[in-house]
Amino acid sequence: MKLEQKIQGKEYWRSLDQLADTSEFKEFLHREFPENASEMTNPFTRRKFLSLMGASIAFAGLAGCRRPVEKIIPYVTAPENIVPGKSLQYATTMPFGLNSYGLLVESHVGRPTKIEGNPKHPSSLGKSNRLIQAEILNLYDPDRSKMVLKNGTPATWDAFKSFWAGQAKGFEKKNGEGLVVLSRAFNAPTLYRLYEEFLKKFPKAEWVVYETVSDANIYKGMDIAFGKPLQPVYDFDKAAVVLSLDSDFLLTETDDIRATKNFAAGRKVDEDGKMNRLYVVENAYSTTGAMADHRLRMQKGRVPAFAFSLLETLKKQGLAIDSLPAPGGDYSVDSKWLTSVAKDLLKNKGRALVVAGKEQPASVHAVCAMINEALQANGNTVRYLEVKDALLPDADKLRKVMTALKNKKVKTLVMLEVNPVYDAPVDVAFSEALKNATQTIHFGMHADETAALSSWHVPAAHFLESWGDARSIDGTPSVVQPLIEPLFDGISAVQMTAVLSGEAKKSAYELVQDTWKKKLVAGSFERAWRKVLTNGVYKKDTFKAPKIRLKSGRVQAYLKQNPITIQRAALNDLEVVFTASPATLDGRYANNGWLQEMPHPVSKLTWDNPLFVSPNTAKELGVENGDLAMLTVNGARLKLPVWVLPGHADYSITLTLGYGRTASGRVGNKVGFNVSGLRTSKAPDYVTGGQLSATGETYLLANTQDHGSMEGRPLVREATLEEFKKEPHFAEEMVEHPPLKSLWEEHKYDEGYQWGMTIDLNSCTGCNACMVACQSENNIPVVGKEQVSKGREMHWIRLDRYFSGDLQDPEMVFQPVGCQHCENAPCEQVCPVAATTHDEEGLNVMTYNRCIGTRYCSNNCPYKVRRFNFFNYSNELPEIVKMAQNPDVSVRFRGVMEKCTFCTQRITRSKIDAKNQGRELKDGDVQAACQQSCPADAITFGNILDKESAVAKSKLSPRNYELLGELNLKTRNTFLAKVRNPNPELVGYQPVV
Amino acid sequence: MSVENTVAADTFTEPPLIKGNQTFASVTEIISSIVEKKPKKAWFVLFGLASSLVMILLGSIGFLVWEGIGVWGVNNPVGWGWAITNFVFWVGIGHAGTLISAVLYIFRQKWRTSINRFAEAMTIFAVICALIFPGVHVGRVWVAYYMFPIPNQMAIWPNFRSPLLWDIFAVGTYFSVSLMFWYTGLIPDLATLRDRAKTVLRKRVLGLFSLGWRGGNKQWKHYELAYLLLAGLSTPLVLSVHSVVSTDFATSIIPGWHSTIFPPYFVAGAIFSGFAMVMTLAIIARKIYNLEDIITLKHLERMNMVIMVTGMMVGYAYSMEFFIAWYSGNEYETFTFLNRAFGPYAWAYWIMISCNVLIPQLFWSKKIRTSIPLMFVISIFVNIGMWFERFVITVTSLANDFLPSSWDYFSPTFWDVSLLIGSFGLFFTLFLLFIRYLPMISITEIKGVLPQADPHYYENHA
Repeated sequence: MKLEQKIQGKEYWRSLDQLADTSEFKEFLHREFPENASEMTNPFTRRKFLSLMGASIAFAGLAGCRRPVEKIIPYVTAPENIVPGKSLQYATTMPFGLNSYGLLVESHVGRPTKIEGNPKHPSSLGKSNRLIQAEILNLYDPDRSKMVLKNGTPATWDAFKSFWAGQAKGFEKKNGEGLVVLSRAFNAPTLYRLYEEFLKKFPKAEWVVYETVSDANIYKGMDIAFGKPLQPVYDFDKAAVVLSLDSDFLLTETDDIRATKNFAAGRKVDEDGKMNRLYVVENAYSTTGAMADHRLRMQKGRVPAFAFSLLETLKKQGLAIDSLPAPGGDYSVDSKWLTSVAKDLLKNKGRALVVAGKEQPASVHAVCAMINEALQANGNTVRYLEVKDALLPDADKLRKVMTALKNKKVKTLVMLEVNPVYDAPVDVAFSEALKNATQTIHFGMHADETAALSSWHVPAAHFLESWGDARSIDGTPSVVQPLIEPLFDGISAVQMTAVLSGEAKKSAYELVQDTWKKKLVAGSFERAWRKVLTNGVYKKDTFKAPKIRLKSGRVQAYLKQNPITIQRAALNDLEVVFTASPATLDGRYANNGWLQEMPHPVSKLTWDNPLFVSPNTAKELGVENGDLAMLTVNGARLKLPVWVLPGHADYSITLTLGYGRTASGRVGNKVGFNVSGLRTSKAPDYVTGGQLSATGETYLLANTQDHGSMEGRPLVREATLEEFKKEPHFAEEMVEHPPLKSLWEEHKYDEGYQWGMTIDLNSCTGCNACMVACQSENNIPVVGKEQVSKGREMHWIRLDRYFSGDLQDPEMVFQPVGCQHCENAPCEQVCPVAATTHDEEGLNVMTYNRCIGTRYCSNNCPYKVRRFNFFNYSNELPEIVKMAQNPDVSVRFRGVMEKCTFCTQRITRSKIDAKNQGRELKDGDVQAACQQSCPADAITFGNILDKESAVAKSKLSPRNYELLGELNLKTRNTFLAKVRNPNPELVGYQPVV
Repeated sequence: MSVENTVAADTFTEPPLIKGNQTFASVTEIISSIVEKKPKKAWFVLFGLASSLVMILLGSIGFLVWEGIGVWGVNNPVGWGWAITNFVFWVGIGHAGTLISAVLYIFRQKWRTSINRFAEAMTIFAVICALIFPGVHVGRVWVAYYMFPIPNQMAIWPNFRSPLLWDIFAVGTYFSVSLMFWYTGLIPDLATLRDRAKTVLRKRVLGLFSLGWRGGNKQWKHYELAYLLLAGLSTPLVLSVHSVVSTDFATSIIPGWHSTIFPPYFVAGAIFSGFAMVMTLAIIARKIYNLEDIITLKHLERMNMVIMVTGMMVGYAYSMEFFIAWYSGNEYETFTFLNRAFGPYAWAYWIMISCNVLIPQLFWSKKIRTSIPLMFVISIFVNIGMWFERFVITVTSLANDFLPSSWDYFSPTFWDVSLLIGSFGLFFTLFLLFIRYLPMISITEIKGVLPQADPHYYENHA
């Protein structure tokens, strides 16, 4: 709801269903109830899920106290620190492609249970994202590979080592000719050292990066512009105006956490009344698009046209920038939008930033680099750093190796933590090509699709079980420290690589120390090493910005050689876009129930990857939500369910990678559809020429939010920056209601700690990190697709997503809703057995043992945040998965109601600690799990009676409002209203698409 | 019993309540013989059918307790589905019984005598059916006793602010008072049966339950007073029970529930549905057991009038809800009611309106009011309509409440349906057992309204 419309009475902003007069829209709404769709064709029912989950209790004997043999610091210095029931935190690092996240991992008696970001680490800054949070479940995945396999039969690690020794001897003679290694891109000193040793030993061998989704285009773009594949590092906090060209930098791009934190910092409007402005040009609605002040929907293949046109326009407006050869085809874009954006960028020279997404071609990245250079962004809002110890993706080299494999030039193929049999593009025909190699070795956490076709499989250890190291995106090195001995005798990546490069004797621990001995030269190594382990980060030896200048001549030359032709997709020539899933990524998280059940941030779908299409195009194609449609592209066909996504570019179809696994494990198998078969290595990101036709069949899709319109209700309250300045208290004033008086004298809650929370809707990006963090912290069960489709998902905090405005081109907002902890809680009054009550600190608490499950509390909750255990969800988990559970939180039995507790276990723990230290709690001692994970710092929590606390200050914000405040519930959680900062020139402007 | 002035009646010709020139003996014979003779084939067929539905009920409850509430269609916004709908429906059915036996008794409506016994039985059986649902609908049946104020070492009391707890007391009181009232009324008839019994066992059992009834003057005096007192005790219950049940909804804050009209509206609805159920049953029993002389068309017509009046009362409540939704200016409430009528559950809403408001209007016509087949069909429509009323209130309000993000659609599963069907099975089983083993019409009270019961009868007819 916006302010200006409030003045006009009930004519709020046009909600989706005010379009309901059109039959088109009625249909759209009608199909929002997927129950009407015909029978579930997905075999993944709850029953199956549970029977599978219960099937394997083979690991019941695994005790929780498998300590690593090597010294990890707190154990060595003070083993007596281990107090049963008291957790310890260890710093470690999660390698993630060419980035890494520094972590603090909570361990209960040697059992890691919860992951948090390490505040000292530059990529995590104490925050995390959904994938980091879900890693704990990956560790305890009962479907992980448990033994070395030789042609599918059990073998031993020693057998593999002796096999490799024989192989190595043979290859050494031939300098490694015919030996190929496929691995993920990495940025790790020890691995890189071993990689170099490998190449020293086998100079003619090939070691290539195989990534389904990667930043290859970015590095190539930098290579074009600077002559070197530099790493761009963006500092969004310094940017006043950001233009994202198809870059979902808040969620799916590399360095998402820092980007979110910094971007959100630029939108803290209360302090100085200033906030940044974001323009987004994109194909499908992303979370970044939701944060945009202006969003232009555009086919992915036309985004390059925008980049070129922008450069031309900026030049026309007087920016000193070299011109480029014009692209072929029709590259016109909406000129008013373009000129306004260009003007804004130019006005904010030095504080402007243009970023392009990883799926955009290299030339777009080069063009962006030129624009940034001309806007004096370099050194201000972006840094270009020289990478070292990094193996970068290289599409050309990969293509060469694949051809060699096809031509039987590869004798032995080693695949390190990659799964090409599942996700290789169709033109590679990988499963066929694989047969051409004599020996194929697969190393991975799962005996997956690729392992099944390989002659050897070696189980990999999880990073929480292995020694290693990694660098963050700015080069900060840190150590990967294990918290637990490998559960399934997995081999660490360092160990495996060492064996491959002939270093079979040393342990991973020694190998990592060897690398670090060269870094930590000053003083005692042992002391410095311990410090690195304790801190989880080593602030020296980071990447440096090289002294090279961008040469536009190189870009011009490249474009002359590789001209770009801009196409415009049409109804019978659809654009097909391939993107990584926000949940399963490229499929490697497919067996993770938390991520499978985490709703897609925009569509709110779980357990599936339908194709996304705009409402207009869907109508023209005659398809609607839940229809199965036949998609033909690149000469291949696939039947996929349809999901209509408002705000999607027309004539464009977005497909999601990472589903349809067949050997991922009990959770991920046969969930969704594998779209790799439609993808080619020549155009892995998007392609035109797609055709879609309805088949008349339907398919059940399980979403967590059926209704996307606010119905004109003042739920997410929003104003423009100008309106906010004029009327800072707009949010409170948006609702008129009679004076809120009680018939009774109410409890005062004026002593002790009184817990409260604020959620800043201006910062929240809808990234779902809080949701998975909450799931991990509070032992929230996964219920499966069928249960979600029935509306029984268990998440304690959910992210409501609302569309507003035009159905084709709406605005999107997110609202995280957990228990609001009302002082006048309607749930408490109606419980017949007093199982939900208020404590003296203002928490609405649940006594699970007392709950008999009338569900009356849930009915009477106006926010519908209570979750009922319709079945015994947690009890049927395999024993090993139970190890991931937080021992401080009760696991709920069936028939019991549960809900957000404001992490009462954390409050109690902190109070005990403070009491032992003989002090009061300080602000910041207690962090709720959602708050702790939130990369946007949108959530503030603490004692509202403490005037100095962050939460008390936050509640003084003029934007503070209670959701449904007119019900006089006195919620302890309040929201800070959203403020958008539109360009005055573009207010109310509907761009032509 | 009251005295009828037949002299006056001659000038003010009220048709006789009992037809066919019955005598005391013939009344005893007609009613007692049903219980004493071997039942008709139809009874066995119906009993077989009903008791197999009871098996479905037991099976469904067993499966529900074994698996969990998830076997139903309830979900997150819609925490209460068919179970609570059925509960309110059955409690409502019961009301007519109490109204007929107690309120009409106090108001000296003699036409009640032919139907009060089985209306009371219906009350008891309906309440039994109703009580099943709150019992099994909780997530953890095995600790449902937490709801009772049983002293325990944890010193935890139930939450007296919760309407669900009020329900326990209200329905519990209602059940026990109704049972006592019914049983008290049965005592003289049980004694009659005892006196007619042929076997020793029958004599003993009936003797036990007739509590040594001899029919002496003093016994009659005590009996009459006890019956009057119990009638007085039951009368406020007619109003209170469904009022309390309605507070389950009315005290909550959900739009569509949060409404002050609920108590009277629920009571009217309860009487409405109860009378419809009595009609359905009476028409069948009357036909099978040839009770046309005792349950006359006059009785049925009067009940139809009650149905029409209460039907208009609920109709008024429906329209008043809409008016208030608009008049209050509360956007949530306005939405809820528009959504009821035109939203995803519009089908249920219009079934309710047609069955409860429109169809009973046919009773304005005397022809329809006195046509047995038509009134039978209409009574069934009313039963259906009143079930849907509870469904509409319970489900539509929950499915679309304050935050559109949590809106969802409720679809029943097999187990929702089987429980409802099973509860009908239980109701009919109990009812069939009742008409098989107990006098379904009060022998004493019928005799009391015979012309011969008038002390001056023999003076005029000597």
